[in-house]
Amino acid sequence: MDEIIYMNLESSPSFLLFIFFGTVTVITALSVVFQKNPVVSAVSLVFTFFALAGIYGIMGALFIATMQVLVYAGAIMVLIVFVLMLLSQRAETLSRYRKHPIRLVLLSIFAFGFFFLLYSALTTGVPHSDQMGKGYALTEYSYPIQGTGTVNAKGNVATVGASTYLDYILPFEMISILLLVAVLGAVILAKKRLTEVEQTKDTVL
Amino acid sequence: MNQFVNGIPISYILGLAGILFSIGVLGVLIRRNIVIIFMSVELILNSVNLVFVTFSKALSHISGETIVFFVMAIAAAEAAVGLALVIAIFRHKKSTNVDELQSMRW
Repeated sequence: MDEIIYMNLESSPSFLLFIFFGTVTVITALSVVFQKNPVVSAVSLVFTFFALAGIYGIMGALFIATMQVLVYAGAIMVLIVFVLMLLSQRAETLSRYRKHPIRLVLLSIFAFGFFFLLYSALTTGVPHSDQMGKGYALTEYSYPIQGTGTVNAKGNVATVGASTYLDYILPFEMISILLLVAVLGAVILAKKRLTEVEQTKDTVL
Repeated sequence: MNQFVNGIPISYILGLAGILFSIGVLGVLIRRNIVIIFMSVELILNSVNLVFVTFSKALSHISGETIVFFVMAIAAAEAAVGLALVIAIFRHKKSTNVDELQSMRW
């Protein structure tokens, strides 16, 4: 039994891709914690999110991989980097890599190879998804709904969408209210009071 | 329960999620910059997402992936409110060091 498992591990391309993305995830997560410069930490966090998207792609959760790139690597990272720039923390060490061309070339090669491997992970995740509910499938997946029997859905996005809108419709609507409250709270917290504008005209923020 | 997800043992994926969670907790504990603490919280939420997707695939049930979608929405709301708080605190204290935040009174 064990020998068969190890033979499968040796030959499986998705397992090698998982090892690669797992290593990148751990290294960049450590870099997030241990870097002195917060902007370098933010860039490392982007790589962590992309590597996790690659792992989701290998596992066949293509919808989650897409949402990972859109929400985490897109929206939340823009928010964090925007706040970092607004607070202007140690901006003088930003262009340190520009003085070392070898380091710049190595980082560029790493970035290109990384995104090529991400692409191959997302594509190799598809043919391995012959089981029900794993990634895109040519056959329709009959999805059980609480109480009302089954609904037919094809592919990962349709399956997750059917689950969201049939089983979890009340939490979905509550999420929208929560996001509205969060946006209002963020505006109220971050805006200046009118009396303070008169007092602190010389400050930047 | 299926012990493999596309040829990957789920114990490896859960181990990776545990390592990621530990690194996030370490970042919350040892860093003093409040923005980096926020990034570490994002790491913790991502490790939880990884566990949800793993068990969703191992059990062949789609609910885990739906809940990951909700976790992402919660993380977006948390980032919006938290970073607004960071800006409000920085405007009054002129610092993002959490060691200097010893009172909630401005």
